Amino acid sequence: MRSLLLAVLAAYVVAAIHAVLAFVNKRKSLQRVSYWSMTLGFVLHTVALIADWVGDGHYPLFYLRETLSFLAWTLVGSYALVLYRYRTQALSGFTLPLVSALTFVAILIRPSGGRLELSEFATTWLFPIHTTLLIFAYAAFFVVFIASVMYLLQERELKLKTFSAIFHRLPALTTLNEIATSALAIGLALLTVGIASGMLLSSSRDGVLWHNDPKEIFAALTWLLYLFLIVYRSTARWRGRGAAWLGVAGFALVICTFLGARLMGGYHVFG
Amino acid sequence: MSIVLVGINHKSAPVEVRELLAFSNEACSTGLQTLVDGEVVREGLIVSTCNRVEVLAATGKDQAVEGSERITNFLTQSRSLSRDVFGEYLYTHSDDQAVRHIFRVASSLDSMVVGEPQVLGQVRQAYSIALEAGTAGRVLNRLIHHTFRVAKRVRSETGIAASAVSISYMAVELGKKIFSSLKGQSVLLIGAGEMAELSARHLVGAGVSRVMIANRSQNASQRLAREFGGEAVSFERLADYLPDADIVICSTGANEYVVTETAAREALSRRRNRPAFFIDISVPRNIDPAIGGIPNAFVFDIDDLESVVSSNIREREREAERAELIVDSEVMQFQQTLRVMELGPSIGALRRKLQEIAKAEMAHQRNRLGPLTPEQEKEIESMLVSTVNKISHPLISRMRRSYELSDADSIQSWREMFDLED
Repeated sequence: MRSLLLAVLAAYVVAAIHAVLAFVNKRKSLQRVSYWSMTLGFVLHTVALIADWVGDGHYPLFYLRETLSFLAWTLVGSYALVLYRYRTQALSGFTLPLVSALTFVAILIRPSGGRLELSEFATTWLFPIHTTLLIFAYAAFFVVFIASVMYLLQERELKLKTFSAIFHRLPALTTLNEIATSALAIGLALLTVGIASGMLLSSSRDGVLWHNDPKEIFAALTWLLYLFLIVYRSTARWRGRGAAWLGVAGFALVICTFLGARLMGGYHVFG
Repeated sequence: MSIVLVGINHKSAPVEVRELLAFSNEACSTGLQTLVDGEVVREGLIVSTCNRVEVLAATGKDQAVEGSERITNFLTQSRSLSRDVFGEYLYTHSDDQAVRHIFRVASSLDSMVVGEPQVLGQVRQAYSIALEAGTAGRVLNRLIHHTFRVAKRVRSETGIAASAVSISYMAVELGKKIFSSLKGQSVLLIGAGEMAELSARHLVGAGVSRVMIANRSQNASQRLAREFGGEAVSFERLADYLPDADIVICSTGANEYVVTETAAREALSRRRNRPAFFIDISVPRNIDPAIGGIPNAFVFDIDDLESVVSSNIREREREAERAELIVDSEVMQFQQTLRVMELGPSIGALRRKLQEIAKAEMAHQRNRLGPLTPEQEKEIESMLVSTVNKISHPLISRMRRSYELSDADSIQSWREMFDLED
């Protein structure tokens, strides 16, 4: 499985390098190479995930290495959706390097023990749904984050009127705003259902909805922040900078939820 | 064969001289027929635009000098001018230099505004006139098709034409960085200055759906409204229309701010904060620069636009340097194409040469063979020729192969081996 993942990594790295070069050079031919390489990587990655699932006999979203690999796959998928819907390539220069890094780390981590914990959890049908929904929510919030950062950069260029090289490479403000808004709505919906499924899982197993575990607390904070953001955005047709800053801040919380909880220990720590 | 280019352009000659030499389409066509004599000048093409008159020709081998002389004479005669009038402004390029020049012209590297798109169309037209006149042959066909390819490469691989370099077009370019698409956006034109009118025209061309015109003189606004299919609105009730406008272009002769900060704040809040783009082309300014401080409002005055334009021009010049590298490598490629083209006649020449050796040998040795009937004589001669052919056949087919594969190196070694010239 490792060799397949190495091939995936190679495809993503080629895609990332060409995407960054295309961002700098504005060459369409580079963009095409990046696009096809990414598609190849995604297909191989899908095969690798399915092979993992069949081979290891559990849904490939449990150990850290699996989670990172799955997250990378999700990010590529959501980027492809944005590309398809908005035809804006500027995101690839940011997304693909991160995807490559995630895949790389996933390969580095050696499969370890933890079979005990696995048997306890992963046998329930609700568990894969819970984790998958949340991973997809993270990917959606990543899109919100990237679109918000690009919005802030582009807005700054337009306000200061001293156009640097990035100005010509970033999409229009309304496009970025639209990407952020729709990704936010999708992300929040996924997060809500994901948290609810977690509560259901916990109540059926332990009889309680809430463990006061760091990951749960962060998830709740994240949910509140994005809920506020969606209300904030919908009370005016346009929020611009403020909403963009919140999109960035929200993602910091997402990272805390994803990694912070792991460092602080608690109920949600797995292999 | 040689390629020669003789011409004048906006850098070498003032407009008074250029207009004397300019050719109309008909004059091009008849002129080409007198220019091409089949001896010195074998093929010809004339590019005549307001910035340049260039005569491009293919001549026989080593006839570049005679060719350029003939072209200069042709210009003198066909325009009925004395050579003193334009002689000093003419430039003459031959072979690689001529190829490079036509590549640069078509790629818009030689234009007054580097990267402008019209010149390629003008070269295209010049070529179709030459085709119709029957003066574009083997060499020019290859050259011009290669030229189109170079121009296309330059356009797609460099950003030479990517950014706007006129103030009036800036409205479109900046507008596209704020609104994903200009389709469906609305424009409010305040005042009817020439520049504002031009900007509005570009915006309409880019798909803006609604144009509102506010002007102190009703006549002017009615006229513009008709022209753009827009509506004339009351100048006094400007504030009512401001919230509807995504893009506001202002150029009036007023001495005070026509759009004040309060009005803009009010308009933005009625727009529920959707972004608004203000372009102020008037001097003194008519849009309060403080509006730039309001969130989601973007204000550009004439100086801002000019500095963007000049930074875009610098960007184009940087891209032009990259384009020159493309042109260099393409000139080298075309050299190879030419070399390959020259081989065609050489192959025929080689066969003839070898057959002549056989025939000459036969004539030379005839006496030693004693009396022969004419049939026998013929038989021996054809034996010799067919032996020579059988020996040379594999060689010639290999030469043809390298010719078809455009393998310039082996072509070169073939010619050296057999001492071939065309």
